[in-house]
Amino acid sequence: MTSLYEQLLDDPLRYFDASYDQGYRLNREQRDAIHLRGLQKRFDALRGSVSVLGALASEQGIERIERIDDVVPLLFPHTVYKSYPLSMLERGQYDRLTRWLNGLTAFDLSGVDARGVGSIDEWIALLDRSTELRILHTFGTSGKLSFLPRTAQQWIDMNTLTAHCVRDWRGPRSGPDLLTQRLPMVQPGYRHGAGATYRGVDVMVRRWAGGDDNALFLYPDTYFSADIASLAGRLRAAQARGEQGRLELSPALLARREEFAARERDRPAQMEKFFETALQRFGGRDICLFAVWPILFEWAEAGLARGIRNVFGPGSLLMSGGGSKGRVLPDDYREQINAFLGFDNCFEVYSMSELMAGCPRCEHGHYHVPPVLVPFVLDPDSGAPLPREGVQSGRFAFVDLLCDSSWGGLITGDSVTMAGWDETCACGREGPYLHATIRRFSELQGGDDKINCAGAPEAHDRAVDFLLSRVE
Amino acid sequence: MSQSVSVPLVIRGEIIDDCRLEFGGRRGELRFSAPDVRDHLSRLVLDTPSKMADLYELGFDDIVDYLARLGQRLSMTTNAHLQAAFEVSRHTSGLSESVLRYFYEQIPQSFLPEVVRETAQRLVGIDYLEGWVPQPSTVYQGPPSRIRAFGARCVHVIAGNVPSVGVGTVIRNAFTRSDAIVKSPSNDPLTTLALARTMIDMAPTHPLTRHLSVAYWKGGDEGVEQPLYDPRHVEKIVAWGGFTSIKHITRYLQPGIDLITLDPKHSATLIGAEAFADDATLWAVARRLALDIGTMNQEGCVNARVIYVVSGTDAAGLARLERLGQYTFEALQQLPMHLSTPHKAFDAELKAEIDGLRFAGDDYRVFGGKNNEGAIIVSRDGAPVDFSRLLACRVGNLVPVDDAEAAVLSVNAYTQTIGIYPEALKERLRDRLAWQGAQRLVSLGGAGLFKDAAIPQDGIEPVRRMCKWIVEQTIDGAELEMLATTGLAG
Repeated sequence: MTSLYEQLLDDPLRYFDASYDQGYRLNREQRDAIHLRGLQKRFDALRGSVSVLGALASEQGIERIERIDDVVPLLFPHTVYKSYPLSMLERGQYDRLTRWLNGLTAFDLSGVDARGVGSIDEWIALLDRSTELRILHTFGTSGKLSFLPRTAQQWIDMNTLTAHCVRDWRGPRSGPDLLTQRLPMVQPGYRHGAGATYRGVDVMVRRWAGGDDNALFLYPDTYFSADIASLAGRLRAAQARGEQGRLELSPALLARREEFAARERDRPAQMEKFFETALQRFGGRDICLFAVWPILFEWAEAGLARGIRNVFGPGSLLMSGGGSKGRVLPDDYREQINAFLGFDNCFEVYSMSELMAGCPRCEHGHYHVPPVLVPFVLDPDSGAPLPREGVQSGRFAFVDLLCDSSWGGLITGDSVTMAGWDETCACGREGPYLHATIRRFSELQGGDDKINCAGAPEAHDRAVDFLLSRVE
Repeated sequence: MSQSVSVPLVIRGEIIDDCRLEFGGRRGELRFSAPDVRDHLSRLVLDTPSKMADLYELGFDDIVDYLARLGQRLSMTTNAHLQAAFEVSRHTSGLSESVLRYFYEQIPQSFLPEVVRETAQRLVGIDYLEGWVPQPSTVYQGPPSRIRAFGARCVHVIAGNVPSVGVGTVIRNAFTRSDAIVKSPSNDPLTTLALARTMIDMAPTHPLTRHLSVAYWKGGDEGVEQPLYDPRHVEKIVAWGGFTSIKHITRYLQPGIDLITLDPKHSATLIGAEAFADDATLWAVARRLALDIGTMNQEGCVNARVIYVVSGTDAAGLARLERLGQYTFEALQQLPMHLSTPHKAFDAELKAEIDGLRFAGDDYRVFGGKNNEGAIIVSRDGAPVDFSRLLACRVGNLVPVDDAEAAVLSVNAYTQTIGIYPEALKERLRDRLAWQGAQRLVSLGGAGLFKDAAIPQDGIEPVRRMCKWIVEQTIDGAELEMLATTGLAG
């Protein structure tokens, strides 16, 4: 059996078969070799098939990657996946949107006929039906959705990787094996959708829970609409500028407003019912719970007030994140949530829609970069890569070597501090890690243009209000 | 600028410099300290309106004379207050040093007697400022009503993108005989203060000196704004710029307070097919367009941003438009240093959006935009870029249209200035553009120029609104008695 080092050197996708924690026991030399070989392999394979990468390489005059830093001029700006003109959506030109997407993926979309498509949701469904792609959309930074060309296989691979991370993160086989243990899945969200937090749900239900009978959702039958997300984002951007009156709505969206409104009206009652059902069906058992902190806290607060504690089994698992934006939580919110839930096994990961390989948080509050992710810290002003040594602060950028049908190179909007190049974290894991002080540059500049997943329901409410306020 | 700058408070001729509160200091931002305005609120407000009587012992000529003497002291070579303000602005302003210096050197111009007289005459009417003006009537037979424009107690929340905003505020406050509390912007905390301090140096007890206060507090600070924006203390608020700052202020509105907003605006440009008559014409148009984009480094609301061009939207039209794009970018690079330079702090968010365009297939053509030199983006798809609201730092967006109609419809109440080429198009469309919401129509190239500055702004007359228009009427006593007893008017 070859070592993980040799496997990853051969193909970074071999990480899907490995013990996850082993990835953090590679030494500097091994990681550098995996990174350089991986970059070369991805660049050589994709420059011919991902046309925008080919064009960028030609423009930059880059033929081959000799050193890791050579790839920096080839990193995409974080705006790339929303670089389509919004007018395409407004004019219903989904054939042009398909051509745009075609430039970002190695798959050939020239056979997709998107004429006659009338909404983003329909367009996504068409791609699902006729291609390998299972694209994901974001919730709309600055009023525009990003579309990422993920594939059906990648959603399965990411699911495997997450399961392995849970299993091995605190030591080989230290955690539950989601792929075999059939933990009930509990999520106060949508069962269906292509939004960043919903697209992976289907695979989870199938592979982890073993089917819908063993899963509970707030909206088990409802699809999270990309069109509504798009409207919510544009509405938020227009509100921030005091230009709400300028927003124009498509007739298709207006026609659906009653449906949205009814669902939003019922949401508080639905949520109460959801939590009741979760207790009845899964109380006392180990579960796998996905929820953002503010929703969890609301639940815990109400439960604790009624004297309810330790509702689930101690072997349960919580996957959370998303910050507490929009709601001020007390300092001890996690303790209250843990007391209510009855377990404290929580996984937090620094990730983003553009990343397949997220960075899990260790007990010292550091986010550890997995070996299949080539991280960079760039000078925020010049964009030049900072040395891969010591402690560096600047703009986070990366090449995700797990992306094999689109280019994994991206310059993020995040301001980070990275260390671990030449010193090992106190948790014992090798390799670079990010300090917990991650901020968005736009926030540092006084702006605040990101709807994270915690903010999305609220934005949804506003979008529905807005739809209803339009008199036909 | 790493050390902290002191921003004292001026209250009606008195300087208060217990600068205990720290402001700013985030990433590259100016750090400065200022007195806590809450401690001085009772003196900052003019609680008794009759204390404005001293202003009425001055004739208009006295005011002109005072401003002329002040203007002579506002030379950048000799005035230490102004030099300090310039020094701070060099760090905080979006304008580069050469452009900024030009603005500061122009300040004395605004104080020249002929300029002040014409400004007062056109923006209010000197006779109305000086006395009670009879209103002859062909309908009413009695003695004519009389009207006089009085000054008001006014808070000015001014913008800091160009120093001229504070300068104009001081002059307007003087000739309308008003009492001003100027809230300085954090991106230019010292310029208006420099004027106030020069006034104190020159004539500390003069009524005009004693009716100007300059303060800094953080916009939205309820502890200051709640007691200040009270009809017992303030009659008018003039608010410039940012949506957020105006939103803060609207919270305090109530009967008795008149809010005069100079809203955030953007401007547009309209270029007719005549631009493509021949290559020399196209170059001329490009140079004039470069002026509209580049003046003041595009920091002003008057600058061109989205530019509609009647180039046609077919392949030949797009080729024509790209040529205009290329020429305009070149012309932008050649603008004189005192008018425009590469932006010293190019917006990173805008840069990321421009970088993103190269991935949008063939929908856009970008000239420049590599570093901080500015850019011309040609929208081949016929719609402005999605980030058109971010356009700044000398970035213009050319949008092709088949006829001027499409461009007219894109104009709305958020559109301030429209630069137009040729003149005939301006005359043909001026009424329709006004109906759509446009507020200033100007020959292409003149959007950023204010040689003739005594004009309405944003579709309103802010200086007339700064005044209180008071009416005096005389009616014959016998006539009134008759009305009371017989019900018959005389």
